[in-house]
Amino acid sequence: MTRLLLPGMEGRVLGERGGLRVVELYIGAQHPASGHMRLIVYLDGDMIVRVDPDIGYVHRTVEKLAETREYVRVISLVERMTIIDACNVTLPYVEAVERLLGVEAPPRARYLRTILCEINRVSSHLYGLGLGGIFLNHSTMYMWAFGDREVFVHLASLLTGSRLTHTYPVFGGVRRDLPQSFRDEFEKAKRYMLRRLREYDKVFFNNPVIRGRLEGVGVLPREKAVALGATGPNLRASGVRYDARMTGYAAYRDLGFEPVVGREGDALERVWVRLREIEASLELVERALRELPDGPFIDERYTRAVPPAVRHWLEKGRLKLPGGYVRLKTRPGEALGRGEMGRGEITYYLVSDGGMKPYRLRVVTPSARNVVLFDALARGHTLMDLPAVYGSIDYFPPEADR
Amino acid sequence: MDPIAWLSGSLGVPYWAVRAVAAPLVYPGLAAFMVVALFIIWAERKIAARVQMRVGPLYVSRRLGGALQVLADGVRIAFQEIIIPVGVEKWSFVLSPILAFTVVSLAFTMVPGGPGIYGFRSSLSLLATYAIVTLTPILVIVMGWASNNKFSYIGAGREALVSITGEATLLASLLAAAMMYGSMDFVEIVEAQMRSHVPGLVANPVAALLFFIAALLVTDRLPFDLVLGEQEIVQGPYTEYTGLLFALSMALGYAKLYVLMLVFTHVFLAGWAPFTSPLLGSIAVFAKTLLLMLVAVFLRSVYGRMRLDQVASMFWSKLFPLALVAFVVSALIHPIYAP
Repeated sequence: MTRLLLPGMEGRVLGERGGLRVVELYIGAQHPASGHMRLIVYLDGDMIVRVDPDIGYVHRTVEKLAETREYVRVISLVERMTIIDACNVTLPYVEAVERLLGVEAPPRARYLRTILCEINRVSSHLYGLGLGGIFLNHSTMYMWAFGDREVFVHLASLLTGSRLTHTYPVFGGVRRDLPQSFRDEFEKAKRYMLRRLREYDKVFFNNPVIRGRLEGVGVLPREKAVALGATGPNLRASGVRYDARMTGYAAYRDLGFEPVVGREGDALERVWVRLREIEASLELVERALRELPDGPFIDERYTRAVPPAVRHWLEKGRLKLPGGYVRLKTRPGEALGRGEMGRGEITYYLVSDGGMKPYRLRVVTPSARNVVLFDALARGHTLMDLPAVYGSIDYFPPEADR
Repeated sequence: MDPIAWLSGSLGVPYWAVRAVAAPLVYPGLAAFMVVALFIIWAERKIAARVQMRVGPLYVSRRLGGALQVLADGVRIAFQEIIIPVGVEKWSFVLSPILAFTVVSLAFTMVPGGPGIYGFRSSLSLLATYAIVTLTPILVIVMGWASNNKFSYIGAGREALVSITGEATLLASLLAAAMMYGSMDFVEIVEAQMRSHVPGLVANPVAALLFFIAALLVTDRLPFDLVLGEQEIVQGPYTEYTGLLFALSMALGYAKLYVLMLVFTHVFLAGWAPFTSPLLGSIAVFAKTLLLMLVAVFLRSVYGRMRLDQVASMFWSKLFPLALVAFVVSALIHPIYAP
């Protein structure tokens, strides 16, 4: 039997795949809700049979570029992977290099790093919540989260002098000391954010429409989360008590860090974990500010070399790095850096041959690990659940593609 | 002075003929709709902006608070090229949005804009308006089919589901109201409410609520904007449209909303009450309609989008049975509207 082919019918022909008659839907790379990536979705009716995340649209060869730059210049390179979470993404690298250099940051620097990390985490979670909101067409959550994120961007710029790419942790310490106005500003920000979180609960989290979209969608059971290697809030929402901050880097050991752990593992729980982590981060920053030790904010090995003409900056709490800082040489060997970003655990594996540049820098970012969740979580749900799943795993293509 | 009488006198055309042209073209028809669309889209954006800590449209006509932004957008869209993609079925692609908007405009001949301001008066005008409004989904489905795009196609499928789901409840609530007044003529319905001094909203709140919710669904307002579904299917059946055709397909939703809110005003808010003069009565109808539309567009800042299966199950298993309750309420209460 010949098939009748009307003009303009080719776009509607169903594909066949694995014996199933399915629609292949290409969501992205030009699509309002795809991000810098493409999702190839196979639909049987309205049911998702399979999702192929097509990644790599924003691959910037970070690992290879790192081999061509001096250690200190690599900091500003790797933070480009996730500029909205800049301190969290650079800190494990800095700590790995410090291990090879044989230098340790003074206590005050470790606390300051923690403070910025947690502020970054709050902005990262707000960013994720906002996008999660607009994925469900909840424009108010989107605008609120992005507007309130500005508060924390401002705090970060007070501390570091720049809004996004701070390059704050450097080998042996941090770039700047705590400004005097910071404590007051943070106190205000914390009060404001806690009030706003109650409002988020009202308008978004407890909104019956949003609850209906998120509850029971994309359930990730505990065993599966572990088997798939999910990380970050997505892992904790499934009831796994794991957070790279528990290893106690920076000042987390002294601050007695406790992760937020969920139970259900569905999209709603993942959003809940993010909301509660914002509260936990605010607590951590407050505790860090209270217990902030006195002392230098960078190892004296590097301040000694600061030329006398710019020494007065150091007394004002700002570091003008000496020229030799670019030509630092590490001992040959390898080092591993781990840290918890807003989206999960980031791992750096650094190999040095004793030169001024890394011999090899391997980066595994949390989003690169979470990308498997698209297929695992969306299967068996309807097409309308795909944005809910995407929003709830807080996937960030530039971070995954590196 | 009655402008219609003056026109019919000076042109030598019968009174009813002038009225039949003036109502759909001027008020409550297309000219009034243009004003409504400009105002409502601006208000929608401004209200959402206020809720969301933004300013909204501002730079076009700063002194008016950006009120002319929509006009500027309209001008831009009017001069935009109408792209007709290679794979589309050309004639149905071009004609269906035009036809859909024309069909909706026909409703303005039936719905009164005030006392004595209507194109035709019929004992079945309520039913006829409903029938006209519910013709458009067929044309939207044609748009989705003709576009030759998977997103449009899925959007067309959603339009089919949504229209069947919403219109059942819409019709049930309208029939419950008609049963209460014992009439399907807008003028008689309004007069019955003015006579008894009880608006339909008070007499039968169940039917009013159901009508409002179902109107949100068939006009694609949040939380039921399933057909547009930007995050899943880009713009649904309208994805491939550009320029004026896109503007028409966007205006379609607002025109339907305008017609349905006019119907709501007459059926549940006593139309032009408390006025009886054509001018004041028209202003009352217009103001009530705008207020209802503002409520409808305000929901954008509160809700997200509901899932398709949840919408369907909510309408069929909760709201439609509730419509039967509305019939019971009507049966009990209709003596107060007896002439």
